[in-house]
Amino acid sequence: MQRALRAGLQYHDFDVRTAGSGQDALRESAAWRPDVVLLDLGLPGMDGFETLAALRPATRAAIIVVSVMPGEKDKVRALDAGADDYVVKPFGTEELVARIRAVLRRQADVSAGEPVVRSADLEIDLGRRTVTVKGRPVRLTPTEYELLRYLALHAGKPVTHNTLLRQVWGEYAVGDSYNTRYVVAQIRKKLGDDPSNPRYIVTEPGVGYRLAP
Amino acid sequence: MIARRFVPYGIAVVGAVAVTAAIGVVETYAKVGGLSAVYLLLVLWLGATYGRWPAVTASVAAFLLYDFFFVPPVGTFSVRGPSELLELVVLLAVALVTSQLAASLRRTQASAEAMATQSQALYELAIAALQAPEVANALSLLSGRAAAIPGVKRFAIAAVVDGKGETLAGDTFSADELGQAVRSFESRRPVGISVSGGTVRAMRTHPNRAEPAYVPLDSGVAVIELGETTPSTDDARMLAALIGLAGLLLDRRRAARESTRADALEESNSLKAAILSSVSHELKSPIAALRAGLTALVAPRAGLTPEQQDLTRDMDRQATRLDHMVGDLLALARLEAGVELHREPHSFADLVGASLRQVRSELHGHEVTVHASEDLPAVDVDEMQVGRVLTNLLENAAEWAPAGGAISVGAAERDGQLAAWVENDGPAIAPTDLDRVFDTFWTRRMTGTGLGLAICKRVIEAHGGTIRAENMRRGPRFTFTLPLAQVATAHAQ
Repeated sequence: MQRALRAGLQYHDFDVRTAGSGQDALRESAAWRPDVVLLDLGLPGMDGFETLAALRPATRAAIIVVSVMPGEKDKVRALDAGADDYVVKPFGTEELVARIRAVLRRQADVSAGEPVVRSADLEIDLGRRTVTVKGRPVRLTPTEYELLRYLALHAGKPVTHNTLLRQVWGEYAVGDSYNTRYVVAQIRKKLGDDPSNPRYIVTEPGVGYRLAP
Repeated sequence: MIARRFVPYGIAVVGAVAVTAAIGVVETYAKVGGLSAVYLLLVLWLGATYGRWPAVTASVAAFLLYDFFFVPPVGTFSVRGPSELLELVVLLAVALVTSQLAASLRRTQASAEAMATQSQALYELAIAALQAPEVANALSLLSGRAAAIPGVKRFAIAAVVDGKGETLAGDTFSADELGQAVRSFESRRPVGISVSGGTVRAMRTHPNRAEPAYVPLDSGVAVIELGETTPSTDDARMLAALIGLAGLLLDRRRAARESTRADALEESNSLKAAILSSVSHELKSPIAALRAGLTALVAPRAGLTPEQQDLTRDMDRQATRLDHMVGDLLALARLEAGVELHREPHSFADLVGASLRQVRSELHGHEVTVHASEDLPAVDVDEMQVGRVLTNLLENAAEWAPAGGAISVGAAERDGQLAAWVENDGPAIAPTDLDRVFDTFWTRRMTGTGLGLAICKRVIEAHGGTIRAENMRRGPRFTFTLPLAQVATAHAQ
């Protein structure tokens, strides 16, 4: 698997280094400073989540978690632990390359410190706290704006229900995803976004939401 | 023993003589009238202390002595006028009334003391029984206490499990006796004695007192053999209280056992889940490596000829199919193992939106329309499971709709449920197959797994809904129902 992935990524012009264990991964990432870390949660030795917890504060690289478990629990746990994205095995090289490019693009946007986040014809001006669709202003309640702002700050990245609940409502609201569902439905209504074919806020089943880049 | 019973009478006679002597002494010095009233004190005291008959004895003795020594003519028992007779009557009446009052007072006090002792004993036993970590210990304690009651020869507590009696605590009883206990338990009828109104009563229908009596409890039986003497009223109450406590302890034992069983069940469920996830890992890992390798080879830099690239792509498609099959089999296994649903209120449009995204590559080239109005009520469903139903039905529709064909998804509220459908304009399903399409491994194609629709049916049924296939004018339609969420309009803002 590792050899196949390395070959596949090298064919797509990435420099690749591999680590056989969590400890190796920590050492390699410190020495080599990669842009993206692909982390298999089913690592031998150190537990995948342990590695993620150790790796997150130690690197500025985007971390994409790879797992064979299709369950959304692992996904949510990894994202809450600071992973930037998540792919479920088995996947094709093209799919993986697309994910890596998206993560790298996002990283570049964030470091550019752009105060205006765009998603199709939706514009969120974080400096002036205004939201417009096709240039027309949209009036949001403070809760709605906070939720949209958090998604905008992490545009393109799946954000879990619990992260949104914690960021927008506070620690006490964690676990009650009815709140996020309700507020997202309200925002979609105001933005004129069709929930069965959303352009701006995409539902990540079992995980949360993502602002389409 | 017998002599002691006459002591109060002796005291009565001696007392009367002593009072007479005292009156005589006083009378020799001064002529004081109405000294006979002193007898009243004696009678009062005797009545209060020893009861009715010693007091009566004292009254009669006092009357005779007074009459003989002080009433003229002195030295005779003659009664001359009604006033002397009245004196006797008064003395007797006082004796009777005071002794009656005192006796009832004594009885009340004695029974209050007995009840206090009994409650204290019961309280101590109940505390000990409830504190004992093992119900068996508490039951032994209780049986020991019950067997110690005078008049109780043997006492035991038996549990009835699957029609078999098992002595949990107390004296041993024969297999026959235990069988009798089981019959009493199963018929819910006591044999020999009955417990009611806080006491135990021997039943008149119990022919042979040497045989044990049985009192059925909620989760077991109390077996009691009474001796020759009948237990006193207080002891009968004590016995009834102990039987009641035994009933509570047996209930506690049953509850503890049931919770252990529930734990075991939960453990086996999590074991099943662990096995499934390990199997899933083992089956999927090789497919993952296969796909990673095959898709890497397709890249132009890998240097394959166009023909070899085509071949590799084809192999990757087969690996993907294999992955789907494994995924379907595991999903079915999970459903059969009885996975827990994670139900929350969801909007149908949102569920459809997420599923459409997931299968957009399969839907490519088809025209998909969604009929889900904004004011549809929320459904109470497991997002992932119902998402799987929608993706399966959409994939199925995409497969059967002709190239560029139409697929429509929609829902409407009907009879307190949400009736949702997925329809395509492909060829109709043979009428005889409309029911069979949901059978496991049934498929219309050579390449299908025959699991997709079977999974849909199981998921929908786990939500308490139904799913059916029918042929509409345009093409086949799958309709399923979902439960509505009981959500108030209030929400946190």
